[in-house]
Amino acid sequence: MTTTVAKPSRVTWVRRNLFRTPLDGILTIVFGSLGLYVIFRGVLFVASGFVNGRWQIIDDNLKLLMVGLWPVQNLIRIGVSVAVLALWAGVIGGVIAGRQKRRGTSSIEGLTAMQRASDLTRRFGLVTATLLLLLSLTDTAGPWIMVLSAFVAGVIGRVIGGWIGVRFLPIWVSRLFTVVMVAVPIGVFLYLTSPWLPDPLPAARSSEPSAWPLAEWEGFMFNLTSAAAGIVLSFPIGLLLALGRRSKLRLLQGISIVYIEFVRGAPLYVLLLMANVSLEFFVPEALAPSRVVRAIVTFTLFTAAYIAEIVRGGLQSVPVGQEEAGKALGLTPTKQMRLIVLPQALRNVIPAQIGQFISLFKDTTLAGLALGILDLLAGATAITQQPDFRGQGLIIEALVFVGFLFWVGSFTMSRESQRLEKKLGVGTR
Amino acid sequence: MAASPSPPKLTSSMTTPTPEQRVPFWRNVSFLKWLFQLVVFAIVAAVAIWLYNNFRNNTAESGIPTNFNFLTNPASFDIPGADFAPTERFQNAFVIGVLNTIRVSIVGIILATILGILIGIGRLSKNWVVRKISTVYVEIIRNLPLLVIMTFTFLGVVLQLLPRIENSWTPLDLLVISNRGIGVPWYQDTSGLALFLVLLVGLIGWWLIARWRHRVSDRTGQPSHGGLIGGAFFLLVLVVGWLLLGASFTTPVVDGRQIAGGIRVDPSFFAVLIALVIYTASHIAEIVRGSIQAVPAGQGEAASALALSGFQRLWNVVLPQAMRIAIPPLGNQYLNLIKNSSLGAGFAYFELTNVTQVTVGNGSPAVPAFFLALVFYIALSLITSAFVNLANRRFKLVER
Amino acid sequence: MSDTSPSVFADATEGVGDSIIELDHVDKFFGSFQALSDINLRIGRQEVVVVIGPSGSGKSTMIRCINRLEEHDNGRIVVDGIELSADVKNIQEIRRETGMVFQQFNLFPHLTVLDNITLAPKQVRRMPKKEAEEWGMDLLTQVKIPEQAKKYPGQLSGGQQQRVAIARSLAMKPKVMLFDEPTSALDPEMIGEVLDTMKDLAKGGMTMIVVTHEMGFAREVADRVVFMADGQIVEVGTPQHFFESPDEDRTKLFLSQIL
Repeated sequence: MTTTVAKPSRVTWVRRNLFRTPLDGILTIVFGSLGLYVIFRGVLFVASGFVNGRWQIIDDNLKLLMVGLWPVQNLIRIGVSVAVLALWAGVIGGVIAGRQKRRGTSSIEGLTAMQRASDLTRRFGLVTATLLLLLSLTDTAGPWIMVLSAFVAGVIGRVIGGWIGVRFLPIWVSRLFTVVMVAVPIGVFLYLTSPWLPDPLPAARSSEPSAWPLAEWEGFMFNLTSAAAGIVLSFPIGLLLALGRRSKLRLLQGISIVYIEFVRGAPLYVLLLMANVSLEFFVPEALAPSRVVRAIVTFTLFTAAYIAEIVRGGLQSVPVGQEEAGKALGLTPTKQMRLIVLPQALRNVIPAQIGQFISLFKDTTLAGLALGILDLLAGATAITQQPDFRGQGLIIEALVFVGFLFWVGSFTMSRESQRLEKKLGVGTR
Repeated sequence: MAASPSPPKLTSSMTTPTPEQRVPFWRNVSFLKWLFQLVVFAIVAAVAIWLYNNFRNNTAESGIPTNFNFLTNPASFDIPGADFAPTERFQNAFVIGVLNTIRVSIVGIILATILGILIGIGRLSKNWVVRKISTVYVEIIRNLPLLVIMTFTFLGVVLQLLPRIENSWTPLDLLVISNRGIGVPWYQDTSGLALFLVLLVGLIGWWLIARWRHRVSDRTGQPSHGGLIGGAFFLLVLVVGWLLLGASFTTPVVDGRQIAGGIRVDPSFFAVLIALVIYTASHIAEIVRGSIQAVPAGQGEAASALALSGFQRLWNVVLPQAMRIAIPPLGNQYLNLIKNSSLGAGFAYFELTNVTQVTVGNGSPAVPAFFLALVFYIALSLITSAFVNLANRRFKLVER
Repeated sequence: MSDTSPSVFADATEGVGDSIIELDHVDKFFGSFQALSDINLRIGRQEVVVVIGPSGSGKSTMIRCINRLEEHDNGRIVVDGIELSADVKNIQEIRRETGMVFQQFNLFPHLTVLDNITLAPKQVRRMPKKEAEEWGMDLLTQVKIPEQAKKYPGQLSGGQQQRVAIARSLAMKPKVMLFDEPTSALDPEMIGEVLDTMKDLAKGGMTMIVVTHEMGFAREVADRVVFMADGQIVEVGTPQHFFESPDEDRTKLFLSQIL
């Protein structure tokens, strides 16, 4: 008597996964109905908001939430900057992909267009859908043009980068290329904040300066840029601290440890509050920094300690034999570190670094509360007090919107990080 | 036989450098290290002196003191929900702040751990519904900023959803839920100390009975059920003690604009606590899941091959090993929770950061005040770290 | 084996020849990959069967199906009269009667050696602690490492750990012992001590199914040798027949590669 196997039928699946034991069955019923109820109420909430105009508060204030008080006629600067940055990012992505193709480690070689399309949709579909949702709430063509031009620029950049990546370039060309790539974001930043550079379109030119000083950056733009600035600026500091902590020189080690443990024991919120009231005591009068600068400085000094620990973990993960091999080859300690140990160490902890960036991105909301900067969250709570919307309990809609934006960003980045981890094969335990 | 040339003799001058031939100091490794340290120290010292000078000049100009004398000044603010008068000293306010921080941290850690373990195990459940719900919970909450969650629980739930005192919800006639606080039934007519002693007796009895049952089990081989029988004894002691002491419950009722009877849970405390618990539990769930999955599959297989049941396998083999893996990251989450309690300052909960902020707003010098607060937080961090390290060392696997 | 020297190992007293394990037309799929096809095998009481074959041939999968660490998809597996099915009661009974020794030892690192051995007897067979510990020390003596009783697995060498693993499985007084490449993870100088232990077991009359690459062991101790490749049993025979005059070409090819 043989027991033939069939592919588990629907009924078997239900029985095994939902009703294995009586207790199981009870759990299924209880949690199932709870889940369905929550989903039902959630969908009702979102949908009815459209019907009875409760989402209007977001609609009316979208620009405020995204970029703060940036003057409308000067948004073109942002558009140009975003496009340039998209081009830049595309080039970087293309160069990486091209290098992988050259080395044979590419994960996209040989995939059909359909497969690539479906892969990209799975990874970035959520972000794209959110972007389209936000665009649909705007009234003008401006944002659409900006997003479209950014997309086109990104694709062009990717193609150019891919072309560059597969080729072997002479040293001076690749050095020049690196310099250019580092200069681009700095240039964009200067362009956005200095009023002396002209506007791209004659029509937009006016007699008044149209750049917006860093001090007034608000909205979601603040969250994004302060997080980016924080992580980028904190990296060299964190690297030095990690090396200092590993050094055998007592003084260096002592300073590093004290700094790292002090900063890691302190809540970021308290540091921001301190920066709000006491930073000006530590610098001469002339340099008294604006709130945004204070926030970014605090983010940088704070994140540096965590980056230091991450890099330290990375350095520990490189087998001692690597350094010894370098020594045996006659390399100086600096060269050993720079050419052999550091590349491996940093590569091993890329997921942890991305995790720190995501963490910082979410923590930028604290600057809103501590320093009074109108970031996305603070702006959202503020708009509920506008005369048109006061007293209707719209805080919930506002918070749902804010939470959604942060969630999309964080979720996508963390999924990409997991994907990278799998590709690099260097997960932590 | 031709004499083969004798090998050159090694003279002492060829093997060791004579005292006059020492390594030139600018290539000497030890000297260079020392020099490098000196340079770094000089740079750090220069920066520190510059900062300090700025600090001195600026504070001298603005006339703000830089010592800790402000602590003995009267506070000029009061703290709702605590016995604190505006005429009392700042340092008392600080103490209350620290106590509030500790209170929300301890309760938060306990609740978050329980919830986190349940959800973490739920993610590994064989039941599809439970698994999906746990996964959705973790994936959503983990990716939200804590401040968004806390703003939601405070502004959204407490201020919006909870009714005004006149219209409080009174489920089961046991609780009073309003936006001025939540009334919970509490004991009365008896000293807290006596009840505490009853609790202690019950717990000790539980432990003793469990031990006795384990000894019996060792002797006879039958399952001990120590936890269950001990637990029953514990409940018995509680009930008997309650009756003997003549204790009674008071249920909270709405009395005008107050809640009379029972104990009142401050709405700010509630909002901050719930936000911290929801957020931290999602991270703890991931840690629990990860540590159970990190136990090698072979361990479970060996246990199954020995005919241990599912529960026996979990309890004796998987969980002990998972727990060891989980201790360091769990400790990290507890530290994060303690630091995140500082966000309560934005929501009218008078923990340490809030007290410090109000103090500074009322004219105390900022730098010493915040410095003090930071010292407390760092001290709390170090104490918690020490406990975690202790636990880690106690449970380490023994290897050669 | 017919030589029944008295020892703590011998338990099966029925005559040699009754089959204690039957596999009938057993198939196993991993997704679309067929790991076992139409396996038919009968193992007699007190028989020592050695299973050899190239990697990926399904040898491990086959013995892991016997104690339900893997689920077979088609066919019938019967252990000591109990049919292996989805019935939890049957599975637990079969697991009580079979013992398994793993390639990676899988000792419980948080328990001492003695606790490793006594855990299952106490929990499953409800043995009192003292009795279990005496029994455990007996077994440790039989595998020749009684002095390690209070140590933790992490403090033992590989060979010692595997011997503890054998003692741990024997503590449940199984009727059949399953070995899944027991020496493949050991340094060469420790393989001998483990094989010696297994030889003692065989001499004592235990029914054993051993998946291994140790041909010397097969020649010395096996009653039958089973050769598997690509999920099928290619050839079965006595060691003499097998190593000196195999029938199948596939067998000859394999032997030429390893001998």
